[in-house]
Amino acid sequence: MAMQVKRENVGEAVVVTVQGSVDIYSSPELRAELKGPLGKKVSRLVVDLGGVTFVDSSGLATLIEALQKVKAYQGRMTLCNLSKTVLGVFQLANLDHIFQIKATREEALEA
Amino acid sequence: MASWQGIRVSLLSEVRYLEPIRALLGEATGLAGLGEEDAAQVALAVTEGCANVIRHCYKNRTDKRIDLILTFGDGVFDIRIDDYGTFVDPSRIRSRDLADVRPGGLGVHLMKKVMDEVLYEKNGWGGTSLTLRKRVASRRGRGTGTA
Repeated sequence: MAMQVKRENVGEAVVVTVQGSVDIYSSPELRAELKGPLGKKVSRLVVDLGGVTFVDSSGLATLIEALQKVKAYQGRMTLCNLSKTVLGVFQLANLDHIFQIKATREEALEA
Repeated sequence: MASWQGIRVSLLSEVRYLEPIRALLGEATGLAGLGEEDAAQVALAVTEGCANVIRHCYKNRTDKRIDLILTFGDGVFDIRIDDYGTFVDPSRIRSRDLADVRPGGLGVHLMKKVMDEVLYEKNGWGGTSLTLRKRVASRRGRGTGTA
């Protein structure tokens, strides 16, 4: 399934909603979408991965890059709605301890 | 009946073709008797294997050939990825330390984590053949309690 990305402002947070496959082909597009909020140094970035069906190491790399940028300006980045399969990939790479991961968007916005 | 049971497919070294390859793998893993979780892991490993060929072996050139050979064996499902580049010494293929959190360097680690065997060999064309093996658990052994 081709990747789709939507961006919206929710209070002081920017929520980026991702659907489809985040792989070596599509991750440059996700990186480009994240560039806007990261460039503006938004204090709270929520990435909703609820519609993501597949993620590979390129997708992980894109999110690690975003997290490092957010941390550099002391903002907060939270992932939410990960399917069991997608969460499994984060766990395989030990990234479930590096990212703040919440079950729902609401929890992510409150984090 | 032929002694070899499998599927052979060739693709150009373009990353956009990896999604349709995963669709094919979705059907093939079902045929092999793999469950949903194993099927997702095979899709991940093959994506990483092909991505490494495109990125590192072919230096992102999009006019090179990759062959995938899927073999349905006795209790195993094998995927061989053949490239036509130069042989890569397996001892030089390393994943990064997971504690060193940075973008990149996770592909080989993920492949090794999700597959039962990962084997690099020199092939007859001077390139590398990467074989990814997944054992197929018997239906009774899957722990559903319904056998």
